Amino acid sequence: MSGFSGALQLTNLDDFITPSQECIKPVEIKKSKTGSKITIQEDGTYFESNNMGTQKLEKVEITLADCLACSGCITSAEGVLITQQSQEEVLRVLKENSKAKEENDENNIKIIVFTISQQSLLSLAKKFNLNPEQATKHLSGYLKLLGGDYVLDTRIADDLALLESREEFLRRYRDQKSFKLPMLASSCPGWVCYAEKTHGDLLIPYISTTRSPQQIMGVLVKQFLAQKLNVSAEKIYHITVMPCYDKKLEASREDFFNDVIESRDVDCVITSIEIEQMLASEGKILSEFEEKTFDWPWTCSQPETFVWSHESSGSGGYSDYIFKYAAKVLFNENVTQLNYKNLRNPDFREVILEKDGAVVLRFAIANGFRNIQNLVQKLKRGKSSYHYVEVMACPSGCLNGGAQIRPESNQPIRELTEELIKMYQNLPQAEPENENVKIIYDEFLGGNDSDKVQQLLHTSYHAVEKMSTALNIKW
Amino acid sequence: MPQQLEVVQRLTAHKGKVWSASWHPSGKMFASCGEDKTIRIWSQDKNDWVMQTVLSDGHSRTIRDVAFSNCGMFLASTSFDATISIWDKKGNEFECNSTLEGHENEVKSVAWSVTGNFLATCSRDKSVWVWDIGANCEEFDCAAVLNAHTQDVKKVIWHPHLDILVSASYDNSIKMYKEDSVDNDWICTNTLQSHTSTVWSISFDKTGNRLISCSDDNTLKVWQKYDVNNEEGIVTPDNEPTWKCVCTLSGYHDRSIYDVSWCKLTGLIATACGDDNIRIFKETESSNKKNEPTFELETKILAHKQDVNCVKWNPVIPGLLISTSDDSDIKLWKFNVKK
Repeated sequence: MSGFSGALQLTNLDDFITPSQECIKPVEIKKSKTGSKITIQEDGTYFESNNMGTQKLEKVEITLADCLACSGCITSAEGVLITQQSQEEVLRVLKENSKAKEENDENNIKIIVFTISQQSLLSLAKKFNLNPEQATKHLSGYLKLLGGDYVLDTRIADDLALLESREEFLRRYRDQKSFKLPMLASSCPGWVCYAEKTHGDLLIPYISTTRSPQQIMGVLVKQFLAQKLNVSAEKIYHITVMPCYDKKLEASREDFFNDVIESRDVDCVITSIEIEQMLASEGKILSEFEEKTFDWPWTCSQPETFVWSHESSGSGGYSDYIFKYAAKVLFNENVTQLNYKNLRNPDFREVILEKDGAVVLRFAIANGFRNIQNLVQKLKRGKSSYHYVEVMACPSGCLNGGAQIRPESNQPIRELTEELIKMYQNLPQAEPENENVKIIYDEFLGGNDSDKVQQLLHTSYHAVEKMSTALNIKW
Repeated sequence: MPQQLEVVQRLTAHKGKVWSASWHPSGKMFASCGEDKTIRIWSQDKNDWVMQTVLSDGHSRTIRDVAFSNCGMFLASTSFDATISIWDKKGNEFECNSTLEGHENEVKSVAWSVTGNFLATCSRDKSVWVWDIGANCEEFDCAAVLNAHTQDVKKVIWHPHLDILVSASYDNSIKMYKEDSVDNDWICTNTLQSHTSTVWSISFDKTGNRLISCSDDNTLKVWQKYDVNNEEGIVTPDNEPTWKCVCTLSGYHDRSIYDVSWCKLTGLIATACGDDNIRIFKETESSNKKNEPTFELETKILAHKQDVNCVKWNPVIPGLLISTSDDSDIKLWKFNVKK
């Protein structure tokens, strides 16, 4: 089975083919002169010979970026991903780095930074029967033993993503002539990729431009941290640990490659399940590793703990947080408890704010591909009355990400997800508006409204034009 | 001696391949569809079947399948344009009131659940979709997108009495699904594997305890349901009934079998074959009908000039069969019981 979320498992998004078999991406090849001969060697390499001599022909390589820009299929990309974004790649980089360190090869020594998502932490805690706090410490110990120089949580980026999203929502709400509502969440790459590939022109105007926490971490690590450590960005190798495979696609987007510093914001994404596999391959369990604390390189005031929840939804708390803020700022209402009402199924629920008998805010959480469909159809027909929708491609949201660790024995996945949701809701609540975030805005971003904020905390989306090829028709 | 299978009427209105036909539950009307992007509605005028209406504005590409709802008030059509159209029958007129979108590409088959709660569709995009039907068929919500198959899905049908869905695919397998009451999502409960090539079509018998499938491997297979704690002692994983292939009919067809219809009235089985023939099979007496059923070929007839795409028994009139073909013909047949 593919690891990708349901949204990416539709045909073109989930062909289990390798690029060589069915890839239809036109590749530019330097034309050789006429009159040359191509011979195949025993080992399968191709040689071209003409009057200029004999030359080995290079294989055509399709990169993940090629795949993302093509509407032919995505996950022929899956084969590509395995070579470019995997635990093997991480281990290879770590090994090379420790060799460079041993040999004092200053030019090739990298600073290895791990960023761990909250969802992956909980998944690992559950798997190894640890409380979340212990899990962070043992995981930090493990990753540092592997060669990690910094092990970070996503707190600072989660906070920034929520603050940027709430301000973006207010901008859109107040200027509905320029912006169409609802605003749709942008942190789920499976959903964003589906939207771009299938309904680009329709959906992109609705999607929040705020970057996902993973990509905000990318910017902070490659720019702010690099600045603090006084190194150039390419000196840092940034690995994130995420609850879903789709995050690998997100990290590979051209938008998150910085041309100026020639560096990808996130170099490699591995997932909860891959950490489990790495441990299993060594025959180790997490609690064997020495407890080490997470790092906090951002400001002087290190938080007491590194596991937090943001509101009630394990996908980042977007709907809750923006709803409360909008209720306060736009309607002067202090909402403390949100009462969501289930619609057709528990993965599509909505919450409203009423004022003088009229509904003034209507928010929804739509999880899973079937509900994405229902939302898309509502938008298409102009029948949506929502102001904001938290859209995630996985049923139950990110705590049930496609690359979370599977349940033991016969436990249904739903039960395991319920347990993770409970764990999440028992974590200390984070308040995104805090001193640390203020310092980031002031010191690094040049204020709350700066161009740098727009440039570094926001992104843009691109409709992928459908290829109309009649080659593939099968009755 | 008259043929056992006799042509009642040949209908030649379509241009190009006629892909499919569906009987109205009254048995007095049917719809046909094809490459010419039209749906044609036919009804009986005295002894003759005559074309009543042409619906030509529903789809922009080939129409692959049509299906009347069990209440007889609605007709669904699916097309290579990736959409499904829902037509309301108002007297003798049909009006397209909904278009369902979501499939990535060619939609191959459509079926209404007998309870009237759901519609199912399948596509070359490898997915099977379940649509939740709102009151009066005015709203269709996506209830599930099932990615259980690894290839093009050719056919969806519903159980004759329950909300159990079955699909057949280019991946050689048949899959069954039901709704999970906890979160109203749909889960794949059974995978039926035995065919060695594309499974083109499937049909339940009247009890819903047996299923027949036809394939590009030139065989028919009969599948029997075994309940939990069955007396045969057959293992039922996950506390779900299991399905076993209890009979393979090979050697009768020389080409791909595109469709199969198990008559709910007579128990006769009709097949549509790439060798342009229609064959009729009948179950024979055997000591162990449940576990080792046997069937014999009653008759075989060169029915069309090209591939036969679809065969369907009339739901009310015993022995009345419809067939559609690449040769652009629709034919109605009468099966005469051997004296």
